[in-house]
Amino acid sequence: MQSTRRLCILLLWASALASCESSRSDYFGTVRPKHDPDILWMNNGAEPQWIDPGKCSDSNGGDVIWNTFAGLVEAHPATLEPMPDIAHNWTMSDDGAEYTFFLRDTDWSDGYKLTAHDFEWSWKRVLDPATASKYASIAYVLKNGAAFNQRALFLRGVDPDIPEVDVRGFMESAIPVERLEACSEPPGFFVYPDGDVDEIPKLRQHAVETLNKGFLAGQRVELSVVDSSIVGVEAVDNFTLRVRLENPIPYFLNLLSFYTFMPVPRHVIEQLKDKGFNPDLWTRPRNIVSNGAYVLKEWKFRQYMLFEKNPRYWNADRVRTPQIKAYMVESYNTCLNLYRTGEIDFPGGNTSLPGEFMDHLRAFKDFSNEPYLGCYFYWFNMKEPPLDNPQVRKALSLAIDRQSLVEHVTRAGQIPTADLVPDGLAGYDSLKSPLFDPDKAKRLLAAAGYPNGIGFPHLTLIYNTSEGHKQVAEAAQQMWKDHLEIDVRIENQEWKVYLKNLELMNFQMARMGWIGDYPDPYTFLELLSKHSGNNHAGFSDKHYDALLTQASRTTDPADRLAILRQAEQYAVEQQPLLPLYVYTRSQMIKPYVKGIWSNYQDRHAWKYIWIDERWYDRVPQVPSGDSPPPMVQKS
Amino acid sequence: MGPFIIRRLFGLIPTLLIIVTLSFFLIRLAPGSPFSDERAVPPEVKADLEAKYGLDQPLWAQYFRYVGNLLRGDLGLSMKYPQRSVNEIIALGFPVTLTLASVALVWALLLGITAGIVGAVRQNTVWDYGAMTAAMVGISVPTFVLGPLMVLLLSLTLYWFPPAGWGTWRHIILPGITLGTIRAAYIARLTRGGMLEVVRADYIRTARAKGLRESLVIQRHMLKGGLLPVVTYLGPAIAFMMVGSVVVEKIFNTPGIGPYFVDAAFNRDYFLVMGIVVLESVFLLLMNLLVDIAYGFLDPRIRYES
Repeated sequence: MQSTRRLCILLLWASALASCESSRSDYFGTVRPKHDPDILWMNNGAEPQWIDPGKCSDSNGGDVIWNTFAGLVEAHPATLEPMPDIAHNWTMSDDGAEYTFFLRDTDWSDGYKLTAHDFEWSWKRVLDPATASKYASIAYVLKNGAAFNQRALFLRGVDPDIPEVDVRGFMESAIPVERLEACSEPPGFFVYPDGDVDEIPKLRQHAVETLNKGFLAGQRVELSVVDSSIVGVEAVDNFTLRVRLENPIPYFLNLLSFYTFMPVPRHVIEQLKDKGFNPDLWTRPRNIVSNGAYVLKEWKFRQYMLFEKNPRYWNADRVRTPQIKAYMVESYNTCLNLYRTGEIDFPGGNTSLPGEFMDHLRAFKDFSNEPYLGCYFYWFNMKEPPLDNPQVRKALSLAIDRQSLVEHVTRAGQIPTADLVPDGLAGYDSLKSPLFDPDKAKRLLAAAGYPNGIGFPHLTLIYNTSEGHKQVAEAAQQMWKDHLEIDVRIENQEWKVYLKNLELMNFQMARMGWIGDYPDPYTFLELLSKHSGNNHAGFSDKHYDALLTQASRTTDPADRLAILRQAEQYAVEQQPLLPLYVYTRSQMIKPYVKGIWSNYQDRHAWKYIWIDERWYDRVPQVPSGDSPPPMVQKS
Repeated sequence: MGPFIIRRLFGLIPTLLIIVTLSFFLIRLAPGSPFSDERAVPPEVKADLEAKYGLDQPLWAQYFRYVGNLLRGDLGLSMKYPQRSVNEIIALGFPVTLTLASVALVWALLLGITAGIVGAVRQNTVWDYGAMTAAMVGISVPTFVLGPLMVLLLSLTLYWFPPAGWGTWRHIILPGITLGTIRAAYIARLTRGGMLEVVRADYIRTARAKGLRESLVIQRHMLKGGLLPVVTYLGPAIAFMMVGSVVVEKIFNTPGIGPYFVDAAFNRDYFLVMGIVVLESVFLLLMNLLVDIAYGFLDPRIRYES
């Protein structure tokens, strides 16, 4: 009995403490740092798959790379505008398709000189098919990058102006051809064999053996598999890098701050290889050499990574916190518990806050919510009746009350949208398509032959297993029932099964989220191009693709945006997908952590972060000045 | 006893081979690729990745290669963590899980056996009812409820222990107790039941008649007989604890091998799934063997023929 009484006392005491704590604080949990001011404790989500810039494709590895490697340019921490980093200056050719970067004299963390050759080698390594980089396609902007990565055949020395049919005829005398692409520099044609992935290496080999040194249009031609020598990146000298692009791409500098374009230490990787070690192990703490603000000191698998300030970073004076401890906590609830008890100061950009606590957390001063460069939508399988009818797709879209969806279901301040591109992106004025029009939706469905939903076949919407996706799907299901009187079945699928079904287009409607890689409308519009591997709607439209190509070749930024807007308008009319909302990111940041500013990509450079020491004694009355740094100018 | 053990050890080999074969082909039946992602991977890159792991070979060739490597102790490369071998992943996570399992086991035995003894010795008293009600609650409350409750009380409210993580003794207490409590509850009920079965046996009466102190009767005679069902239960229980708990290790973000059971399957990390299956199978088979051996010591009626 006594033990029961003791337990009751303990519980009462605990609840009293809990109520005291919540009533006395405007912040969620502790506000006094549990560590010295020279370290930050943060969460980086899951264990990174790769922290090798050339191989990384996960955001957990991406955040580590951004803070341990420095590229030619860096994104401003608040505006994400590109500003000089390793390149102190650059020039652009008149046609906008060639850049020359001038590099600072800087060192790797082991004292080796960092040169333009490192950049050339690193970028070609990303594109080298042997690297098997999942993100290689981001470097397709480089001249001939795609052809190198896809191991195209190159017919060298053929005038690119000769009729394509002649070239096709020549090649098809040996192998089936999927497509040809004329190459102006060096002159020739890229040839992509047609066949199963397993057969293509044999087809390539056969074509080279049969057709190399053959005659085409009276000329002897060379046929070989594309090598890295024709990729559009070249170190002119140790401190000058020349880059040729496929097209004049206005967002190229934004793209350069992406982690795939960071340099890797060739000397370390090759040394490991020479010594007979697995070169992939170059990112282990005992081997790693980097050139960014921090260096990796300790890596406890699935526990934490410890980083120290890199004294050899060219801008080391700018680095404010000497050590960063990045934990790997995957569970959102566990992360929030750690935050509450002060075991971490900042959940980081790779963790979301648990949706069910959002309304509660919103009341605290350390909560913030900002728009994020991502869109949540449903794919329509346009090859599957009745979704092959644009009126049906439009009706399904207009029957969704997006405003209600974000207010009552998702509840994290998401921005309802019926467009593909979020508003205000890189000066882009979004279409502001109608969000909800049930009457029109009904009329469209009737016009498609299904008045009041009569005779409408059963549709299925699939989503990968998640409570959040389920709630959104249930709300959409109910809205279709209410406004169109149709029944849509919803079905959750395990992640890999769901991906497989997407890939095979084995679905009718499927949920998807798309996060932009760079702040430009193209990152969203490209999704619907015929050649995009992520286009799961079966949307293949010559007019749309032509508009994208035209935009890519337009040098005037305003004209380009106008063409992209036309493309978006066209796509929205075709409705290959059903946009629902633009993402937001909700964050908790301890009040003593400074130097974190919201931005569209939720990217936060650690070097600006610092601990406000006044919080060690008591809650300061006056907030500390914490404005983003000014833009670094070219010199 | 020696030949019995050797015979049993040899018997493990075909069992293990069947487990490995079934698991190998079953995981390959699941749709989806280890290399598919929300952002589509170009087919050429996917083909290169598959070639790196030998997945471009016919399935039977992959199987024989896997079994050959397994015999050399090589469990292959992880696909989710491409820079790490499955051997390394298990070597890093296993000590963590083992530490956690040991703490949980000690807690489970201390609490369970004590409660069981109290229940049996003071049968049908308030002590017995109290202990058995607590045990019933312990069995009924799943770890995903008990874990967060412990965090809420001892971590978020009283700030005694960190809510998650690993590295100091303070990190072990909450997951250890969470993992051990449900086992303690079972042990308590089994101990009580086992002891009650022998409490009226002739040899107990004889022991008392000899004038042996009650504490010694409990300790030497009742407990020994009463623990038999506990031992049967402990074999598989320890094996399961040694390969970790998905739920507890997720809640407390413990870097053990527990979560791989589910995560590796979801990620189609074929070799990691296989590695964990092999590890679990070996433990389970060995623990069952140990249980049989322990029987020989605890129950004088059991003798293994040479």
